[in-house]
Amino acid sequence: MSKMKQMILVLGIVVSLVACSKDDNSGTSAVVETLTVKDLPADTIIGITPGAPPTGGFPYGAGRYTFYSLETNKIVPASDSASNKWDLAFKGTTIATNSGNSGPGGAGAFVYVGLFNDLKTIPADSSFRTDNAPSAFAITTGSNRGWYVYNGLNQLVTPIPGRVLVVRTASGKYAKVEILNYYKGGTTPAANASDAIKLNTQRYYTFRFSFQPNGTKTF
Amino acid sequence: MMKWILISAVSSCIFSTALAQQDTLVGNGAITVFTATKTERSLSNIAVPVQIISQKTIQQAGSLRLSDILSEQTGLFMTNGFGTGVSMQGLNPDYTLILIDGEPLIGRTSGVLDLKRITVGNIKQIEIVRGPSSSLYGSEAMAGVINIITDKSRKNTLGISTRYGTYNTADFSVKGSVRTNRINYQGFGNFYRTDGFSIRPNSRERSVAPIERFTQQHNLGFRLSDRSNLSLNIRHNSETIKNNITVINNGNSINSVGVEKNEDLNTTLQLAHKFNERVKNTTRLYATQFNSSQELISDNGVPYLDAFKQQFARIENQTDFNLNKQLEFNIGGGYIHETANSTRYDNSTSIKTNRIGYIYLQSEWRPLNKLTFIGGARYDNNELFAAAFSPKLALQYKIDKKISLKASIGRGFKAPDFRQLYLNFTNTAAGSYSVFGSVEAQKIINELNRIGQISSLEPSFYQLSNLQPEFSTGFNVGASYQDEQWHISTNIFRNNIENLIDSRLVAYKTGGAQIFSYLNVKNAFTQGVETDIKYRYNNQWSFSAGYQFLLTGDQAEINAIKDGKVFTRDQNGFSRKMNQSEYVGLPNRSKHMANIKLQYEHQNFFANARALYRSRWATTDTDGNGIFNTNDAFAKGFIQLNIAAGQGFNNGLSVQAGIDNLLNYTDVLNLPNLPGRTYYLSISYNFLNKNPK
Repeated sequence: MSKMKQMILVLGIVVSLVACSKDDNSGTSAVVETLTVKDLPADTIIGITPGAPPTGGFPYGAGRYTFYSLETNKIVPASDSASNKWDLAFKGTTIATNSGNSGPGGAGAFVYVGLFNDLKTIPADSSFRTDNAPSAFAITTGSNRGWYVYNGLNQLVTPIPGRVLVVRTASGKYAKVEILNYYKGGTTPAANASDAIKLNTQRYYTFRFSFQPNGTKTF
Repeated sequence: MMKWILISAVSSCIFSTALAQQDTLVGNGAITVFTATKTERSLSNIAVPVQIISQKTIQQAGSLRLSDILSEQTGLFMTNGFGTGVSMQGLNPDYTLILIDGEPLIGRTSGVLDLKRITVGNIKQIEIVRGPSSSLYGSEAMAGVINIITDKSRKNTLGISTRYGTYNTADFSVKGSVRTNRINYQGFGNFYRTDGFSIRPNSRERSVAPIERFTQQHNLGFRLSDRSNLSLNIRHNSETIKNNITVINNGNSINSVGVEKNEDLNTTLQLAHKFNERVKNTTRLYATQFNSSQELISDNGVPYLDAFKQQFARIENQTDFNLNKQLEFNIGGGYIHETANSTRYDNSTSIKTNRIGYIYLQSEWRPLNKLTFIGGARYDNNELFAAAFSPKLALQYKIDKKISLKASIGRGFKAPDFRQLYLNFTNTAAGSYSVFGSVEAQKIINELNRIGQISSLEPSFYQLSNLQPEFSTGFNVGASYQDEQWHISTNIFRNNIENLIDSRLVAYKTGGAQIFSYLNVKNAFTQGVETDIKYRYNNQWSFSAGYQFLLTGDQAEINAIKDGKVFTRDQNGFSRKMNQSEYVGLPNRSKHMANIKLQYEHQNFFANARALYRSRWATTDTDGNGIFNTNDAFAKGFIQLNIAAGQGFNNGLSVQAGIDNLLNYTDVLNLPNLPGRTYYLSISYNFLNKNPK
C-alpha cells in the first residue's frame, strides 16, 4: 500500500514540475521557435489490478488524459476538456487531438515519415485525420502503426525515429511535434531494468514541437 | 584370451580387405568422410568444405553433449532459447540438418533442435559439411549438415567412463562391442544428470533446470554373405527436466512448477548389397519419433499442459555405379511419411500429415588426377507445399600435393514446418496474443471476423497464402595447404536466402489482442571467410587456430538506408538519418569469432588450453527503427578459456580433469546458459584392449 502512496506522491510532484524549456535554434533563418516539453505525465501508473493474466495483473492509471495546448505551451486543466483551449491530450500511448469525438475543437493530425527539421512546409495535399475514439485516432494507436513501437520481450515503448506528428491545432493553426521519449527524465530504462522501474517511469512524454502562430503551414 | 586375439585378428583381416577395395575416387587417405557425397570418400578428395572432429578431440576437450564440442569449432556458435541450437555460416539453427549415422533427428522447438539431447560418449567422428547440401539431403540442409558417426568398433571392447563435476553434474557411460565372423554388436548406454544452475542472483528460476537423461544405442550387424550386410540400429533417449518457471507480467510474478519430458526413438534397418565391384545398392528403412510433454502447475493452482508428438518414417534406396576409375554415379530415391499432433494445434488429437517423395542423382567425375567434378540434383515433391529442386555443382583442383582449390555452388531449402502451418496458440500469460499457422490463420480469422471479434485486419492478412519453402543459394570458394607440419584451409562463403518465413501481425481482436501468423516475407544474406590453421611444432606440441569473419543483412533494409528512409536518434534524442556504415544486419551474429588451441602430448599424457572468442553482437532494437544498427543494444564480446589434462595407464585406466570457463566470464542477460567456472574429473576404464591408444 505504501508503495502505491509513494507512486501517487511522485506523480503529484512530477505534475507540478513539468518543465518547458527553450530549444537552441541554431539556424538564423528559423522563423518559428522549437520548444521541448519534458516529463509530461500521461495517466501514470498508480496500481496493478489484482489477480493474474488474462483476468488481472494489468497496470492501470487514474484513466485521465493530460490536456496540452501547443499554442500556449501549457497543460490545460481537465475542467477545460470540453473547450478549444487544448490541442493534444495524452493517456498512456494514446495521443488524442481536439477533434471528432475527442473534443469540440477543429484539430486534426497525421503522422509524417521524415525528419522534424526537414519538414519546413506541410505539403498542400496533406490530409488531416480526426479522432473517432476509441477505435480510430487521428494519430494512429498501436505498436509500429503510429509513433511508437512496443517490444513484447522487454515491455519497453520506444518512439520510432523519423516520425513527426503534424498537427492542426484546435483553433486551426499548424504545429509539428516529435516525440522523443516515453519515460521520466527522457531516458528509456535498460532492457533488464526491474519491472518496478519500468512501471514507475513510463507514461512521461518528452517531445519537441514548433507552433506557427501566423496560421501558415510553413515553419 | 587366445580366443579374443584370434577374433581380433580375423576382424582386422576383414578390415584390411575392405581397405584394399578402394577405388581411385575414394583414394587412400586415412580419414574418410561420408556426409559430403553420401558415399565414403577420403577427406582429401572432397570438393566441398568439410570438417572432421575426431573422437580423440572430443574426449580431450572433456565434452559431454554435442553442443559442448561444436561450440569450440570455427564459425559455429550455440544459440539460447528453445534449447541449445547451432548457427552455421551465420544462419539460424533451423537451417542446419543434424544427422545421426546419416539419418535426420526430429523434434525441433521453434526450429531449434536441442543439441544437449545428444551425448558424445559413443561418437567416432563428427562430420560438418558447410554450404547447401539439399541436393543429397533435402529439407533443412541450407547452411550445412552435421552428421554424427557413432562408434562401430572392429574389435571386442568393453569400457566404462564416469565423470563428476560442478553443480553435481554426473555422467556415466558404458560401451562395448562383440564381433564374430558374421555378427557384430555394439552397445552403448549413458546416464547424465545435473542440478542445473542459475547465474541470476536471488532467482527461483534456473537458467539451466535440473535434468536427467538416459541414452542407449544398440547396433547389430549381420554379414549375410561376402556381398551383403544387414544392420539394425536402435537409439533411445529420454530426458526429464524439473521446471520451476517464473513468468513476470507487469510486476506480477507467477511461479509454476512441473516436469518436462522429452523422448526420442530412432530405428534404422539397412541392407547393403554389392552386385559386383561396380554396383552397390543400399536400402534404408528409418523410423523415428519425438515425444514431448510439459506439465506445470502454477502457485495459484492453474494447470498447464503442453504436448507435442512427431513421427517420421522414411524408406530410401541408393545405388552406386562405379563405371570406371574416373566416373561414379549415385542414384537414389525415397518416400517420407511425417505426422505431428500437439496441444498447440487446433486439436491435440487431430494428426497433421505430410508426405514427400524424392529422387536424387549425383555424379562424380575425375577427368584428371588433379581435377574432380561433382554434380548433383534432387527433386522433392511435397504434399503440403510447393516442390523443391536442389542442384549442386562442385569442383576440386589439386595444384600439387600440398595445395588444392575448391569451389561449389548449391541450392538448399527448408520446408515450412508443422508449427508454421498449424500452430494455434494463444498466450494468456502475456497479453493474450495469438499465433496461428498459415493454414489455420485464414480459417480462424475469417470465423472470428464473422462473429465480430476482429477489430482490424492488417495488410499482411491479405498476403496470407500457401507457404513456400525457404530457399538459399550458397557459394563456397576455398583453398588448402598441407605439409608435414602445417595444415591451412580457408573458405569464402556467401548465402543468398529467399522466401524467409517470419511471423507478422495480421489482425487485431476487438479487445486489442494481436494475432500473428507466418508469411514468406524476407530475404537475407550471410557472407564471410572461415580459416583454420593447424601447426605441429614437434611430437609433443601442437597449435591450432580458427577465425570466422561474418557479415549478414537484408538487401531491402540496405536499400531503404541508401534511400534515406531509415532513421535513428542523435545524442539529443532527435531523429536523424541512419548511415549505411551503422548497419549491423541480423541480430545475434558476431562479426568476428575465433578459437585457439594449444596442446601438449607426451606418451600417455596430454594437456590442452582452448580459448574461444566472440565479438559483440546486437541483441535488442533500442532506437525503435526495426533495423539492427550500431545505436542498438549489444552483448559484450567475450573470451572463454577451457583447460584439460589427462593421463592414460597401461592397465586400461585413464584419468582426466578440466576446468571450463577458467576466466569465470558470465553475462546474465545475454548468455544465461553459460555457467561461471566449472570443474570436472573423469575416470575411464577399458576391460579389454588395455592399450591406452
